[in-house]
Amino acid sequence: MRRIWAVAVNTIRQALRMKVAFIFILLLVVLLPVMALTTTGDDTLKGKLQTFVSYGLSLTSLLLCLLTVIISVHTLTSDMKYRQIYTVITKPIRRFEFLLGKLLGVVLLGAVLLVVFSVLIYAIVVYTPRYFNPSQAEIIQAQNEFFTARKALSPPDPDVSKEVAQALKGLVESGDIDQVYGGMSNEEIIRELTVLQTAAKRSADAGQELLWEFENVRLQDPNGSLFIRFKYEQVSVTPADSQIYSRWLIGDYRAYKYGIPGDVRLYPVQRKDPIKTFREIEVPGSVVADDGYVAVLFLNDQSNGASVMFPLGEGIQLLYKADTFTANFIRANLVILCRLIFLASLGILASTFLSFPVAILGCVAVFAIATVNEFVVESFYYIDSLDMTIVYAYTLKWLIRLLPQFDKVNPSRYLVPGELLSWSALGFVVLSLICIKAFLLMILGLIIFSFRELARIIV
Amino acid sequence: MEYAVETFSLTKVFSDWWGRGKVYAVDDLNLKVCHNEVFGLLGPNGSGKTTTLKMLLGLLHPTKGKSLCLGGDATDPKISARVGFLPEESYLYRYLNARETLDFYGRLFRLDRQVRRMRIEALLDMVGLKAVANRPVGTFSKGMARRIGLAQALINDPDLLILDEPTTGLDPIGTRQIKDLIIKLAKRGKTVLLCSHLLADVEDVCDRIAILYGGRIQAEGEVARLLQQENKRQITTDAISDEAIVKIERILQEEQAEFHINSPMHKLETFFIDTVVTAQRQSRRTSGAVSTTKIGDFLAKETVSDNILDRLTSAATTEATTAGSPVGAESSPDETIAPKPDDGLLGRLSEPTVQTDAGDANQTAETKPVETETLPAEGPVREDILDELTGRSKPQSEEDNHGDGAKAGESDNA
Repeated sequence: MRRIWAVAVNTIRQALRMKVAFIFILLLVVLLPVMALTTTGDDTLKGKLQTFVSYGLSLTSLLLCLLTVIISVHTLTSDMKYRQIYTVITKPIRRFEFLLGKLLGVVLLGAVLLVVFSVLIYAIVVYTPRYFNPSQAEIIQAQNEFFTARKALSPPDPDVSKEVAQALKGLVESGDIDQVYGGMSNEEIIRELTVLQTAAKRSADAGQELLWEFENVRLQDPNGSLFIRFKYEQVSVTPADSQIYSRWLIGDYRAYKYGIPGDVRLYPVQRKDPIKTFREIEVPGSVVADDGYVAVLFLNDQSNGASVMFPLGEGIQLLYKADTFTANFIRANLVILCRLIFLASLGILASTFLSFPVAILGCVAVFAIATVNEFVVESFYYIDSLDMTIVYAYTLKWLIRLLPQFDKVNPSRYLVPGELLSWSALGFVVLSLICIKAFLLMILGLIIFSFRELARIIV
Repeated sequence: MEYAVETFSLTKVFSDWWGRGKVYAVDDLNLKVCHNEVFGLLGPNGSGKTTTLKMLLGLLHPTKGKSLCLGGDATDPKISARVGFLPEESYLYRYLNARETLDFYGRLFRLDRQVRRMRIEALLDMVGLKAVANRPVGTFSKGMARRIGLAQALINDPDLLILDEPTTGLDPIGTRQIKDLIIKLAKRGKTVLLCSHLLADVEDVCDRIAILYGGRIQAEGEVARLLQQENKRQITTDAISDEAIVKIERILQEEQAEFHINSPMHKLETFFIDTVVTAQRQSRRTSGAVSTTKIGDFLAKETVSDNILDRLTSAATTEATTAGSPVGAESSPDETIAPKPDDGLLGRLSEPTVQTDAGDANQTAETKPVETETLPAEGPVREDILDELTGRSKPQSEEDNHGDGAKAGESDNA
């Protein structure tokens, strides 16, 4: 362990004294405060905080990820290029100890910098409300929607198999199927129809209503608030002022719907909201039934004269406070730390058999793909429809799957809307990114490094 | 474990990526280096010397055959803890300073902080880089980097020292010092394997040599035996009279032997060192490495024991033996253990310093505080031991050198 530590300390010294880390540190030290002063968001306190946290954390993550890649690749390749490794590896140190020392050094440096900059971001965020002297309403809004960690519940997808079957039958009978879905397999047509039908269940014509029911809503504080977060989309006719008038009823709807006698506490709300923007309705937590049931009823006002739709995914969600902002912020940073550990392992693996430029290029490519991996995986999904399935199903598909998906758990996506980044989500990241992927990379790196002829010059 | 280094048909073939263009860098090499021997591996450039060393150390894998260092695999930490290696060039971390460099390597050997500190100071002193110990190694000249490289190889007080062209880039005094060090280490029972193409160096220090060409041993044996010209005799005398020469000529003519009589030339090395000695008498400082004759105390000691009790007792006995010594008020128990150059020639290098030490009280005062500054604040007995181990007894040892030659010889032989 002492030898691993010696190598780690030396790695950190190298990164600091060769001034690689210095540039990144300087950038962050300058950019973060500047960003804090210049971001405005939507001119509310909440908007300001959201924008700053989003950009600040993303920038920190990006720069530290790049720094980790560069240092991890540089430290090992330069040791081999300048042959310091001759004198180090001939000392009583095992090769795996040497690699682990390098990994430890890179991760430690990344972790320390992450702590420094996240503390800076945290301090700026906490002091922003005092500095800008906002109105009381803005402070409350920020408290409710930003300085919190809210659990987000999406309504379960409705069962649309009946509608899909009916639509398919209709298409076949009318003979339009080839015209509309020409060249698609049956499976694909069903998939498309399912999406269409699910979306249909989320749209309401003027005067129509929509009902969502949520279960297991457990508020941390029964006197706290419940939030409905939603976004309108695909309005058939855009209203003159781009505003949609609506009425909402929130509470235990079962008494009406199923005739179950109970203490009916439906909470009415009247709203006027712009389209294509996320909006939130605050409701007292007492609307939730004792068994954790709550229903949300939406009525599209007749006067709109247009149908509205809540997009799939996060179009409508129920939010309630489940943890503090601080705890959420810490978990968000732990997610970033997981990325750093993964990238450090990747860089070290790459530099066990590649030269500096090649290794850097490879690692940055992996990092770039990892950042948009969900998109990449999704786009490969469409290749399925072409006749390349076999080639790709056994090659690229698995390679892409093996790559990490940084965008799957994106810290700022949670912090900006004050959404709970749960321990289980963090656990998932730790498991997939570190316990499996980084671990495999390190094992592979150790194997390659153990068998490598270190004095062999590869031209 | 009969041999310190042993290879069994060691072969290394270099080929390109496609497996073409085979080059036999080392071909069926059977090398045997005995314990406590200075073995020289000679050969022109590209004869496979360095490749052999790299295979011994596990930096390259042999294509065929195998090698043993100290009876085991050199990549085994138990073995490599007893091996010191100086590569063909000093590959050092440019951003570390000299002291940090040695500290890093010391940590790899898991040396305790105390031992590490003592050895680092002793080694820096020995290689004459104490004055520049806080400068990044990247700013060093080649010779200075070489000295740190050597110090790095010695930090674990190795049983087997593998040196790849140890004297390249060093000035003649540094070269001489390395040669003295090698001889000293051999006296202490260490084994040295060095490879070089500087024949003069090898000739001076090696017990046995092997000459490599094309990856094969072309000649091997004891230096004395290989170089001895059995059919010739040489007589060196003081400047004798012309009559004596005439007499000798007559005798030789009776023997019917061919002969030449002339005055022998100085070796350039001797001349160079004499010149530097003179220069040192005149000016007191240099900006580069300070050439000293010192050899790190922990390297010069007969037995190295990590047992503090051993050190305490050895300190006590040396104190007893030197108690009556008339060396002066500054006399301390370490003087018998303090390093002594083997050679009278190098010994002269120290003389001017001693003279100024004795004559100029100011200079003594100038150097003393610097030395006491690094002294750890501990009890008086421990202080003595630390002194002894870190070699802070420069003035005494040098006085000892020119003052008490008989005793120096004694402790050398002990």
